[in-house]
Amino acid sequence: MSFDIANNVALQQVLATMEVERKRIAGTQTKGYIFIAAGILLCVLGFFLGFPIPGVIGGLIPLIYGGVLLFKINDSLTAYQNAYKTNVIGAALKFLDESLSINPYQGIEASEFMYTQLFSNEPDRYKTEDLVTGCADKTRFYFAEVHAEYKTVTQTKDGTRTEWHDIFRGIIFAADFNKKFNGVTIVRPKDFGAAFGAWFSKNLFSFGSNDVIQLENLDFDKTFVTYGSDQVESRYILTPAMMERILNLNHQTKYNISLSFIESRMYIAFPLNRNYFEAPVFKSLLSPETVNEDISTLKFMYDIVKELDLNTRIWGKE
Amino acid sequence: MIIALVIIGFIFLIGIFFYNSLIGKKNQVTNAFSAIDVMLKKRFDLIPNLVEVVKQYTTYEQGTLTKIVELRSKAGSPNISNAEKADLDAQLSSSVKGLMVNIENYPDLKANTNFINLQTTWTESEEQIAAARRTYNASVTDYNNSIMMFPGSLFAGMLNFQPIAVLETTAEERKNISAKELFNN
Repeated sequence: MSFDIANNVALQQVLATMEVERKRIAGTQTKGYIFIAAGILLCVLGFFLGFPIPGVIGGLIPLIYGGVLLFKINDSLTAYQNAYKTNVIGAALKFLDESLSINPYQGIEASEFMYTQLFSNEPDRYKTEDLVTGCADKTRFYFAEVHAEYKTVTQTKDGTRTEWHDIFRGIIFAADFNKKFNGVTIVRPKDFGAAFGAWFSKNLFSFGSNDVIQLENLDFDKTFVTYGSDQVESRYILTPAMMERILNLNHQTKYNISLSFIESRMYIAFPLNRNYFEAPVFKSLLSPETVNEDISTLKFMYDIVKELDLNTRIWGKE
Repeated sequence: MIIALVIIGFIFLIGIFFYNSLIGKKNQVTNAFSAIDVMLKKRFDLIPNLVEVVKQYTTYEQGTLTKIVELRSKAGSPNISNAEKADLDAQLSSSVKGLMVNIENYPDLKANTNFINLQTTWTESEEQIAAARRTYNASVTDYNNSIMMFPGSLFAGMLNFQPIAVLETTAEERKNISAKELFNN
């Protein structure tokens, strides 16, 4: 099933109406930027040619006008971006499955982000938006964009310098898992630090309550490090078939994913390097690739349930 | 003199560390086996209920039911070895699988809530036993590696630690599922 934008009359009408608004916003923004640039140019020219005061006065007028133009269009821009999320992304979601909906102002709370145990750093700055919720057959799921950062403060000659570092930027996906379990199982990408940590806790000393789980799928063990509070339960979740499915899912993404299984729910973190579901301003809405990328992301998220076979409910959990 | 003492002390400490780690791994193997045992018991406990429910609806499956009850009582007797228990479980599992296929012919039974519950619990227990067996094999591999690799091999030789065999997948598990076989029953 593919979402054919070109032949979807209702969506084409929405896009055409929004395209008019987009052009108006893009036009005003371009005008604003041109006035600001002209103002700066006038100031600089005035200084160079020996007329600083007329230069500044002459420059300030277009500068302020440009600023006012950008300020005034900002409300329309926000409205346009929200309309894109609700009408375009919302329509695409309804096409995939009637139960799906998007809420641009909601997301996954910072407390839930920490609860997933996917990341060990506590965020100092946390942003989340675009919560999509729904069901794929029997499986309830939701996902949202998350940007979590921590800060480091270093002493320099002139005082202190604060730097922000990403803990995670991308999409967190949560779904109701098809088996019952009580403990915690965490699957993280195997980089050097994780590999060394796993070796240390397996052979020398284990911190915390979770053990390293050595799984028999070699590819899986090369790609991920698995921790769990109960060896048998982690293997009950990560069956040979499930490990293959997770590997397949991981092959489809650019960056390695992390997964956690907590209280009958599974979380997957997909690191991404761009902001999704944002309406374009300087690119036409009517060109198919603009909307297609967002739609294929939505479809990818929706298909996870199928990909991981979460609708097979034969293990005593409805 | 002092240096020699320090070296001896250091070797002694390393010795204690490896010895303890071997014992820990050996205990882990025992522990992993008891997990399989618990899961097996849980599954054996399902049998009486399953037999009761099936009995009410079918008249032709008596042979299979009697066999299942016999296997269960054998598996429940106190003085059988772990290997025997695993073997009985494999036979039991294949008999129940056969029974489940035949039950396709009894629509009333298939729709019975009790039966549906038992069926899901049974599948759940199959997967749990598989997980417990895999855990056991992982602990055995870990233990075998440490007694065969240097310097663990030195202690293992002195203390007479023997490698333990991993649980083989049963013939039933290895066999490819053939649709023809399933439907020609």
